[in-house]
Amino acid sequence: MRFTIAWRLGLVLVLVGLLGTGLTGYFAYQASREQLLQSSEERLLTATQVLMRQVTVALNNVKADVRLVAQHPQAPRILQRSTGGFQTLSEENVAKIFEGMMAVHPEYFHVRLIEADNHGLERIRVDRGMHGLLRVSGDALQEKGHYPYVFETLRLLPGSIYVSRATINHEIGAHAGEHRPALQVAAPIHDARQRAIGLVVINVDLQGLFAQLAADLPPELGLYLANRRGDYLIHPDPALGFAFDRGQEARVQDEFPAVSALLKDAPNAASHRVTTSLPSAAEPLVAAFDQIPVPGMEGGDGFILGLSQPLSSVMAESRQLASITLGIVLSFSALTVLLAVFLARAFNRPFYHIVAEIRRFAVDGKIGALPVDRKDEIGELAHSIQLMERQIQHQIEDLQRQQEMLDHLASHDSLTGLPNRRMFLDRLTHALARAKRQDEQLLLLFIDLDGFKTINDTHGHAAGDAVLQAVAQRLRELLRESDTAARLGGDEFIILFEGAWEDAQIEQMVRKVQTALTAPIPYQDIELHSGGSIGVSRFPQDGSSPSTLIAAADQAMYHSKSNGR
Amino acid sequence: MAPSRLLSTCRRWLLPVVSLLVLASAPAGAAQPVLRVLAWPGYAEAEVVRAFEQRHAVRVELTVATSDASLWEKINTRNYDVFAVNAAELQRYLAADLVQPLRPDSIPNTRMQLPRFRTLSAIPGLMRDGKVYATPYTYSQMGLIYDRKQFRTPPRSISALWDERYRGKVIAYDGGTHSFSLAAQSLRLASPFRIAPADLPRTAEHLIGLRRNVLGFYTRPEESVHLFMQHGAALMFANYGMQQVHMLKDAGADIGYVMPQEGALAWLDCWSITRDARDPALAHAWIDHLLGPLASRLLVERQGLSNTLSDEGNGQPDGIPVWLQPPEDTVRRERLWERIRSGDRLSRVLAP
Repeated sequence: MRFTIAWRLGLVLVLVGLLGTGLTGYFAYQASREQLLQSSEERLLTATQVLMRQVTVALNNVKADVRLVAQHPQAPRILQRSTGGFQTLSEENVAKIFEGMMAVHPEYFHVRLIEADNHGLERIRVDRGMHGLLRVSGDALQEKGHYPYVFETLRLLPGSIYVSRATINHEIGAHAGEHRPALQVAAPIHDARQRAIGLVVINVDLQGLFAQLAADLPPELGLYLANRRGDYLIHPDPALGFAFDRGQEARVQDEFPAVSALLKDAPNAASHRVTTSLPSAAEPLVAAFDQIPVPGMEGGDGFILGLSQPLSSVMAESRQLASITLGIVLSFSALTVLLAVFLARAFNRPFYHIVAEIRRFAVDGKIGALPVDRKDEIGELAHSIQLMERQIQHQIEDLQRQQEMLDHLASHDSLTGLPNRRMFLDRLTHALARAKRQDEQLLLLFIDLDGFKTINDTHGHAAGDAVLQAVAQRLRELLRESDTAARLGGDEFIILFEGAWEDAQIEQMVRKVQTALTAPIPYQDIELHSGGSIGVSRFPQDGSSPSTLIAAADQAMYHSKSNGR
Repeated sequence: MAPSRLLSTCRRWLLPVVSLLVLASAPAGAAQPVLRVLAWPGYAEAEVVRAFEQRHAVRVELTVATSDASLWEKINTRNYDVFAVNAAELQRYLAADLVQPLRPDSIPNTRMQLPRFRTLSAIPGLMRDGKVYATPYTYSQMGLIYDRKQFRTPPRSISALWDERYRGKVIAYDGGTHSFSLAAQSLRLASPFRIAPADLPRTAEHLIGLRRNVLGFYTRPEESVHLFMQHGAALMFANYGMQQVHMLKDAGADIGYVMPQEGALAWLDCWSITRDARDPALAHAWIDHLLGPLASRLLVERQGLSNTLSDEGNGQPDGIPVWLQPPEDTVRRERLWERIRSGDRLSRVLAP
């Protein structure tokens, strides 16, 4: 294929098209990818916030439980031992309430009623043991006055709730809760004089609570819980949870630097959110963190809750997007190529047509059908070419006419219109060749006008010319189509007859010619009288070449002229 | 889009892709060697650790112990290379064959130490069979911190911790060995480190008395500061000595610091290398680094502790140091203490 303008144009079109679709695809992909990342971050944040609300609800439930017991009229009476003979029964009843709570809430490690007197002695205590609930009593009850959840709670106003920091419970004798992460939620119990006489405290199994809440999360999501210092309490890698309890440091802000902004906010400020991903980690993650404010909380100061998703799983969606985008880009590119080919062909066809027509014109000079009806540039071009062709045609016709005229002038006598000597020789040569070939005969009559010089001298050249023209006309009238009369020059004429001639026929013809020559020729107001001497030669008898035949006829003419004088 | 923009966009995308590829192709086994250090709060400041990590191209995995019991527990997991322990406590590690002899030549900075810390044979417990097992790092007496506003005259005796006038305003340390020693001192037993079996019940009872008198117990120094400041405490047993004085003063507390007349329990913390250390040479290098000027200076400046290079900046009040000695039975002390701290009453504490 030739690299024509159309193809070049097509190629440019293809390149522009490819660039266009490619760039569009690329930027569409980039924007969608960003959006995908953003939406997955938003999804994570939403999940985090849902989880956060669940945690808040769960904590509120615990608070409601401790408040319920704290405000129960039995509680102060038990603490003050003022129930008379019903003390044991009352304690039994409260213990039953505790057991009921723990049965409903598997995340409760223990529920206790603690008195302010006797160094924070536990009065009623239900623990979760390995095989169910345990009522701890008698000697096994412990003095807890030196623990913050006791001395902090006893300082609270009626109706307030204490929520501790999340710690590992190292109190021995705590059964299932021993050395396990826990949160203490407590409410003070006041007597009629608003003196804090005890408290009710629930130890919440932190891991159990979150395992329960996070049970519905997709397995690829990682759950993070940190305290306000950033220390991990729960981490997908269990070795990092409560590292501070083991004397090590594992903090959320070291893994997700953006979270440090969240840690700087006021603990009970309205919900803050930070989304961040860490590209340098071994397994890059997209993560969302939020603050769990614990309203009314005195001891602890809230949590940071987070969910993470491997960036790779987000990117899997993006890979799918990339392949779709690539597919679209490729199909549009193919379409562009097809369109370019089609356009190039559509553009080429009228040009090729015009070129073919021009070539044909060059060969045969005929003007073919050009797309002159088109209203575009091609139509204009075709129109111009047609005009040019027409001009060329006219000029060629003129030239031919002139050529024919020149040819005529060169071969005829201008005065008489008879063939001249050159043309006559030409015809004679041809007739001779034909006669020789076909074994035929030829006859030549050589004519010389008599008295012509006298007419010229007497009446002028114009009269001479008139004589010559009249003789020529009479000779033409005598002859058949196949015969040729010519003026050899001056007053000499010659006639070529083809075919066989009897002597009598020849004599008759000579006489006819003689008569024609001698007939008077009207000139202006007078009549001119001329005559002629005629010599005859024949083929094959008198020669076999034009010159010998003419010479024989000429000689015969002189012979008759001298005889006639 | 201009070609240059396009190019820069390509570059912006190419770089992370390429670096990801490079990261992915990096050999997984090229992890840095790790030195596992177990120390007390403030012993290994972040910049000290960083300097060591850079100099030796290693990663330091620092764990902080806040009680003798947790230190013992951790070393027994055999997951540490080098650790800080007081000379008295060291004895049970020696007995359990948990430590290895040091090569003093590999710790050239010992030559910078004060003469009294260089003569190791003069310090009880650091040598055994002619071999050195620990090198001194820092020391402190454990005095009483008191609130100047609540004490017209400074407390004189360790028994002030039991003074009912300060009930709920005393802060004590959550550690079995020391608590028993304190109780023994308060009870004026013959030796705080040798409590006779017959004296054990009353010592335990005395400690229950302490428990009933305190606001709470602490393990980490910052925890003690928080308790002290938050609850208007009057008196605190300073297990970390000057370190806590330093922190409280930084926090704006108007406090005094005295040594009890019974004599202040005093500890000398040393660096020791575990029997199972993965790279003893690196562990020696760590000790040498910690005896160097940076760590020693920060010990004084940041923690208010003493170092072994000079006596400067050691603002400890005068007192009779009672250097810690291995107690008669650490395990029993810790077991009893755990019960006392958890709130058990005497019968339960003394139960077998």
